[in-house]
Amino acid sequence: MKINEGFELRTVCDENVIVAYGRKNIDFSKVISLNESAAYLWNAVIGREFTCQELADLLCKEYEVDAQTALADAAEMVAGWKELGLVSD
Amino acid sequence: MSTLKTIVRFLLRLLLTPFRFFNKQRNGIAPSEVRHELPNDAFLGLVSETLAEGHTAVIWVKGYSMRPFIEFGRDKVKLATAAAYQVGDAVLAEIAKGHYVLHRIIKVEGDKLTLQGDGNVRGVEHCTTADVRGVVTEYIRPNRTLSADDAYLKRKIRIWRTLFPIRRYLLFLYKAIV
Repeated sequence: MKINEGFELRTVCDENVIVAYGRKNIDFSKVISLNESAAYLWNAVIGREFTCQELADLLCKEYEVDAQTALADAAEMVAGWKELGLVSD
Repeated sequence: MSTLKTIVRFLLRLLLTPFRFFNKQRNGIAPSEVRHELPNDAFLGLVSETLAEGHTAVIWVKGYSMRPFIEFGRDKVKLATAAAYQVGDAVLAEIAKGHYVLHRIIKVEGDKLTLQGDGNVRGVEHCTTADVRGVVTEYIRPNRTLSADDAYLKRKIRIWRTLFPIRRYLLFLYKAIV
């Protein structure tokens, strides 16, 4: 899967927010904010193909977390991103 | 005095229940979802940047200073840049560094603008056209969206302005039906 084009991660006052730049109208009432680890993953895989396993490996590398929890967290996050239309297969 | 005010407000709310019901039917009720709030100056800075890049932007409006035309927690507005600004336009302006207001233009003198919130009974802001980041093009309520060009809406805004001397009392009434 891959992060869809037209989204940009911006830092506003220490908050990581995703802004949809691809469109003419930007709906700031639906701005999505990412926590630190989600922002780390976003930056690591932006612009390329990735899998849930890859995200889990990245999490394990950066944070003290066991492989199983990391995979579950990554899958949950990806499901959320898909629902919001941020990623597609 | 404040007890009296509370009693009067309570009676008014009771008396105006049908209007309150009508208002909710027409405009919809505030969504109850929890919103993550970013600091105003940084957030509106980002909004200003995207407007300058040629996008339009939809934002929630904070505060009650634009009552009765924009209701806090219920309404959103769509902003765009414009070549010129006129009396009656609601604009997002950076009136001091990092300090933004979304108020209505009440006076234009060359490039000097005077702004005032629809819901303010005193106090105006002064700025120049260069400080304006965007103008409201749509008022987005849960049940309907009003264009800023809507003639009926424009007339209502003009009437609201001429009723300025009794605005305090009208707002008191408005609070009873919102």
